[in-house]
Amino acid sequence: MSAGLDNLKHIVVLMMENRSFDHMLGSLKQKYPKINGLTGNESNPDTNGAIVKVQQKAQFQSQLDPDPDHHFPGVDLQIFGGASPGPGRVANMQGFVKDYFSQTKDVNRSHNIMYYFDSQKDLPVLSTLATEYAVFNGWFSSIPGPTICNRAFAHYGTSFGQVGMDIFYILDTSIASIYERMIQAGHTAKIYYYDQPSSTMEIVNLLKNQPQIFGTLDQFVSDCAGNTLPEYSFIEPCYNDHPGADGGQILASDQHPDHNVREGERFIANVYNAIRTNPTLWQNTVLLVVYDEHGGIYDHVVPPACTPDGKTASADATGTGEPFAFDRLGIRVPAVLVSPWIPRGTVVPGTEDPANAQIFEHASIPATVTNFFLKGDAKRTAREQQAKTFLGLLTDQMRQDDDCVVFNNLQ
Amino acid sequence: MPPKVIAVPKTDPAAYNPNRPAGTLLQAQALHMREALIRHLHEMTTLLNIDMKSLKSEADVSAYVHKATALLHTHAGKPAKK
Repeated sequence: MSAGLDNLKHIVVLMMENRSFDHMLGSLKQKYPKINGLTGNESNPDTNGAIVKVQQKAQFQSQLDPDPDHHFPGVDLQIFGGASPGPGRVANMQGFVKDYFSQTKDVNRSHNIMYYFDSQKDLPVLSTLATEYAVFNGWFSSIPGPTICNRAFAHYGTSFGQVGMDIFYILDTSIASIYERMIQAGHTAKIYYYDQPSSTMEIVNLLKNQPQIFGTLDQFVSDCAGNTLPEYSFIEPCYNDHPGADGGQILASDQHPDHNVREGERFIANVYNAIRTNPTLWQNTVLLVVYDEHGGIYDHVVPPACTPDGKTASADATGTGEPFAFDRLGIRVPAVLVSPWIPRGTVVPGTEDPANAQIFEHASIPATVTNFFLKGDAKRTAREQQAKTFLGLLTDQMRQDDDCVVFNNLQ
Repeated sequence: MPPKVIAVPKTDPAAYNPNRPAGTLLQAQALHMREALIRHLHEMTTLLNIDMKSLKSEADVSAYVHKATALLHTHAGKPAKK
């Protein structure tokens, strides 16, 4: 066991919304060749047959309206380029522009789905964390589908057979959430949602039954400052624009299209600073920043196969005419791991390096927390039991305080 | 030596738009809230009587979610417990 792991007392996960790896971090490949981003030559055909290359023209807002399709049939088209479901078809990541055209009805606007950020210029927070600590080349959403089922994997290690936005959780109590597992075993865990008008997203059933699990972002900041942070914390961004209690304006910080990406940057910086500015907490905490799914936005990496979780979604549920056995992952998302025990510039290899690939998905979150705090002692799906855990990235060497950045959010 | 400080730009104030049409995610969140209310708070008929089809904007959804959370999360506003 590494010294970093010996010192670890807190795991914090911040899950953002609906952006692909290449869209957010793909440009970093130009300066950091080990990061499996974009060469600039990746492309998709549009509905006129023209080749549309990726372009570094992403904007903070207004470019992805209407919201790109990320439900199961749409993602199937994005991955397989429109080939009909069935044996022998090959994933080629060639259907993003075609799928976005089905919404925009405008060929030129459908090209927006191929746009990506100049990460270091436009996204100083996420790109700094990615290059100062560890970035995952192979962290995938758990399902080629939308938010609710993907976030379920972060909470339960399964979506209980769901591939959509249905309410699944109340009907199936066979697998406990990671928060319930922790508390039942005498440990501490909490979900920090932004505020009441934003609230929690997919596990609202626990609000009434397990109210002690929940807190607000203000309480997270207070808990960080007061050394009262639980052993495991899951943080939710603000999901909507709404008036603040003081009459001010609260902006959505989840980065879900068409919410402003820059506000999400500020939110990530606030969470990081809350941990970073407490010297005791900083030394014994690891922060994972990860996105729930790609939001319909282009990524060039073909999702790999995975361990099934024993469930099957029917052909009616998938909407593709074929059932889904939860045997392959969804599209790749940004994921960075932050700790002073992680060397600067760590790049965790993914499918681009088959011999050394480490493939992660959202079931890796409850798997990591359960393995570390509960020594694996919990009823779990086969999928979660096989999920790769991420604390092995902590080393024996802690970086000095002046070697770890802070963010100034007052600019 | 102090640590390196990274400046984080402010968000354009024009980004604020509570009248933006609520997307499928927010609509689903509101429906989940409603389901939880039905199962756990049958007595809260006033909130349940709100017509879901009237939730057109993010402001509409956030107002509904705010009320639902206040009813469901009885610990809200109290000091955080470990």
